[in-house]
Amino acid sequence: MTNRKKKLAFVVELDRCIGCKACQVACHMENGTALGVNRIQVRQVGPFGVFPDLEMYFLPAMCQQCEDPSCVRVCPTGAIYKNEEDGVVLLDTDRCIGCQSCNRACPYHVNTFSRTRSQMDKCTLCAESRADGSGPACVRNCSGRALHWGDLGDPASEVSRLLREAGEENVYALRDYGNRPAARYILKNAVWRDVFDDGKGGD
Amino acid sequence: MPDDVFSVSGLDAFGPDGLLEPDAARPDSERGEKRIHTCCRACIANCGVIATVRDGRVVKLEGDPADRMSKGRMCAKGLGGIQALYHPNRNKYPMLRVGKRGENRWKRVSWDEAIDVIARKLMETREKYGAEAVFCSTGGGGNPEIWSIARFCNIFGTPNWFEPGCAQCYLPRVVAYTMMYGGADPSIADSNALELYDTDDTPIQTLVLWGTDPSWSCPASGGGMVVDLRAKGVKTVAVDPRLTPDAAKADVWIPLRPGTDVAMLLSWIRYILENRLYDEDFVLRWTNLPYLVDVETKMFLRAEVSEDASRPDTFMVWDENTNSARPMAYPYDETLSPALTGSFTVNGRLCKTGFQLLRERVEPFTPEHTARICEVPAEQIVKGVRLYAENTPSAIAIGVATDQTPNSEQAAMAACSLDLLMGNVEKPGTLLQRFRTSGVFDMPNYPVPIAADRLPDEQLKKRLGGNEYKGLHIWYAGHPTSIFDAVLTGKPYKPRVWIDRSGNKLAAVADAEKVKRVIDEMDFIVHMYMYPTSFSAYADVLLPTEEWLETNMIVETCNTLCARQAVAHVWETMDETLIWSKIAKRCGELGHEACRKAFDAEYMGKDLAYWDSVEELWDHFLSRVGLDFEKLKAVTPYTYMSKEDWKSYYVYRETDGKTGLPKGFATPSKKCEVYLESMITLGRTGRPFAKCDLPPASKDYDPLPYYLEPAESPQRDDGLRDEYPLVMTNGRIPFFHHNTLRNSAWMRELCPVPELWINPLDAEKYGLESGDWAWIESRRGRTRGLVSVTEGIKPGTVYMERFWNPETLDSETRGWKEMNVNLTTKADAPFNDVVGTYTLRAYLVKVSKAEGAPEGVWTKPEQFAPWLAQPTAHTADPGTERWRADRAAGVTLDDKTSERLEAVRK
Repeated sequence: MTNRKKKLAFVVELDRCIGCKACQVACHMENGTALGVNRIQVRQVGPFGVFPDLEMYFLPAMCQQCEDPSCVRVCPTGAIYKNEEDGVVLLDTDRCIGCQSCNRACPYHVNTFSRTRSQMDKCTLCAESRADGSGPACVRNCSGRALHWGDLGDPASEVSRLLREAGEENVYALRDYGNRPAARYILKNAVWRDVFDDGKGGD
Repeated sequence: MPDDVFSVSGLDAFGPDGLLEPDAARPDSERGEKRIHTCCRACIANCGVIATVRDGRVVKLEGDPADRMSKGRMCAKGLGGIQALYHPNRNKYPMLRVGKRGENRWKRVSWDEAIDVIARKLMETREKYGAEAVFCSTGGGGNPEIWSIARFCNIFGTPNWFEPGCAQCYLPRVVAYTMMYGGADPSIADSNALELYDTDDTPIQTLVLWGTDPSWSCPASGGGMVVDLRAKGVKTVAVDPRLTPDAAKADVWIPLRPGTDVAMLLSWIRYILENRLYDEDFVLRWTNLPYLVDVETKMFLRAEVSEDASRPDTFMVWDENTNSARPMAYPYDETLSPALTGSFTVNGRLCKTGFQLLRERVEPFTPEHTARICEVPAEQIVKGVRLYAENTPSAIAIGVATDQTPNSEQAAMAACSLDLLMGNVEKPGTLLQRFRTSGVFDMPNYPVPIAADRLPDEQLKKRLGGNEYKGLHIWYAGHPTSIFDAVLTGKPYKPRVWIDRSGNKLAAVADAEKVKRVIDEMDFIVHMYMYPTSFSAYADVLLPTEEWLETNMIVETCNTLCARQAVAHVWETMDETLIWSKIAKRCGELGHEACRKAFDAEYMGKDLAYWDSVEELWDHFLSRVGLDFEKLKAVTPYTYMSKEDWKSYYVYRETDGKTGLPKGFATPSKKCEVYLESMITLGRTGRPFAKCDLPPASKDYDPLPYYLEPAESPQRDDGLRDEYPLVMTNGRIPFFHHNTLRNSAWMRELCPVPELWINPLDAEKYGLESGDWAWIESRRGRTRGLVSVTEGIKPGTVYMERFWNPETLDSETRGWKEMNVNLTTKADAPFNDVVGTYTLRAYLVKVSKAEGAPEGVWTKPEQFAPWLAQPTAHTADPGTERWRADRAAGVTLDDKTSERLEAVRK
């Protein structure tokens, strides 16, 4: 336990996501992000199949808190960095020059460019709210209780327990392009689709 | 334009200068941060909210974990509350029209002047044409309560108010469940189905979501609840032509042709009867189905008519032991063996049991026959009904979809019949319940006393549509099309003055072009709302009402009482419940006797005197549980009863102290009335809803549900389908309640324009691709939508949700012509026989590719920036002495804030 490394990330139960997008609005309010800037975006996956034999689910996509983030690798100023203490990928806006290299490098396109600030904007797992103990706004307001966050490095954490109980066969991650995404998705009632396989994302 | 004349959506009034900054003009005494428990009203779900107020400015909203239903969750609409509150285009002051009607030119006036202008016009109209020439309307999202409108009408003396909801939304279900067993209906979106919110405890096994999608109609309460149920293994069946989130997650999805629900419901009844899947013991003992009906009169045979309200009439059964008709003493005579089926001759009259008549009614609806009507495979119908009937306890949560066609009342009756046949009533795990209440409200859902008895009988008899569609009397309402036709034809008399409290009648009522023709005929129109809509542009007076974050209201949520409390107040907005009181008061001063007396507490009695503040009204009701509104604010949510005591199952088995017999159900027979004889009485007299007997409707209402093929139908060979080959349906999305929030930057970012869902087979046929703009056209009109080609809609059906465009309010279209599906809906006959429902879904349209988006509409997130919350004038903090004084006086602007706003404006 002593040398265990903290690894904060989202775990999403996709069977519980109802596509209501409250998370996106909660994020706007919490973080004062501009219109068009979404740190979290709910993507509709499907419907696949032919009417009436269809499958559809919703996939909230946000920074995957990669272990080897491609955004960090390409950032020319070091503005994006991985916080070694907890594994969260953060953005130092004082250093961001708005070149959008990170945006192009991210295979999931989950960070957005703020035109009003001419800088990148990204999910911090609501760093301020974490500091006061309340956690990310999207998790707090999730209508389906699909969103969870926690320390995946701690086997006793709620998120680790969720993954264990779901069973390995029901746990997915977005496709690994060598960046090792940390976020995990649990899906039991539909077939997992690799919606980011074209590098452009879902929809 | 002179300085004091403005147009009501004037986007240039204030430039965007930031999101949620604190108000610099606030005195130090009002600084600091507070977290206040309140309740949302962005729809009608009333979810618990914790509002953070910093330096007098609401800066954050989050779900209140103590809320019994939303449990700490909030949806997009509710989370948009701050944006709605500080919207730069709020209605800020009372305004009077200058220039021509429809020109959208206004001048600011005081509240006193506005109320005086309205009251004088009302009095003049009453004098010249009678009080009935005034009509009022309400509806739409964010509606704080509907009874204020009805109350004002009753006291003023007009029988005419309407909602485009009512017969098209919820009322048909309330009528059916009230009449058939006398308890709550199972509508999730109307905050019923309370059994299900203690998700760990409820033993329900199968939940049928019939024409409802809690995920998108009420995500934070019902949506989350259904997710919890599914997670614990409850099976769901979704009946819906579109692949909603709940349809996608359902165990059985039945995508039927829109408007054919009753055929499907009757087929379920047939399947359950044929396969004896019903609860036979319950049907025999606790429904009226064994009672004998005279086939010619359609009424039950009665051995005895009771004069005592606590005892039901005594009905006749066919006793198989003696092969004779015998009186069945209430509750049940164990010596008899009543036949459920069969035809008998009693005293020379042909009689059948209610059960037999129901069986004959549903007989044609075999799975195969129904499959042809509904256009779904027979196996799928059987799969759905078997899950419902065999995996029990189960329940049907029937939603708004079936309320939106002329077959509305029968859909609700059929759905209720199914649950009653299954014995899915008042037992754990079922939705038809009579749980206890706080007793704080006399009226359903909203506390304002309606004062129905104050309307003179001769005025009630003039209610437009009131004699024909007597089901509307359950909510004391008139019939929209009958009112509009009277305006247009002058028959039987011409209504001339319209006071509306709702979002946008041009986007919410069927056949928008007709609504405009009605507007053009009016002498005088008042619109009160939180912000201007298309309808405002054609009004004579605009009154600014409060957003939910500004209002005080009592909310009952399961076994708790909650306070919606004003956490802010901006500009000169006023609580609507107070506005109606002010109009009545001025009418009284101008010589209206009943309005004057309406302020006399002694004279008004249980109807209560009108109020000078809503808080005094809430204090009155809360005294019943030893609280007042200030105390409730401090303790909200207040548990008025333990969960166990509140959740009263099997109420019908409780002993009636007076008779010593079981209480039974809240119906005339004290049984579940699946054969709804009282429909006949309702149609002939208005009983039990009208306060006096009315002339009979043109034909008897049917005591059993029947199927009505949509008037415009692809299965009708009348030539219409050749020109209009597709069936239109609508349905909720989670960013708007009815026509609200189209002016919210955050909501429009998520949903900038309405989508037209079309199946790939049809898209190919009509040359449409995703991302195209399409014309959607019916016999009544046409509009545009953005094409989304998806397998998630039944072939032959298209889907589009209601919309209007505040960004074009200043233009010729006034925002109601660009993408308004109600330009295509149908407001004329056929209507539902009982409640007068017109056609909002299941009518024919054609689609074709449009050259592009309508002119002037916004589609990109950044375009909505002018609508972001702005620094705003404040009055004093809620609850302070100054605040109370402000409100009593009608609220004035803080001088400093005015100056500051002037600076911002420059």
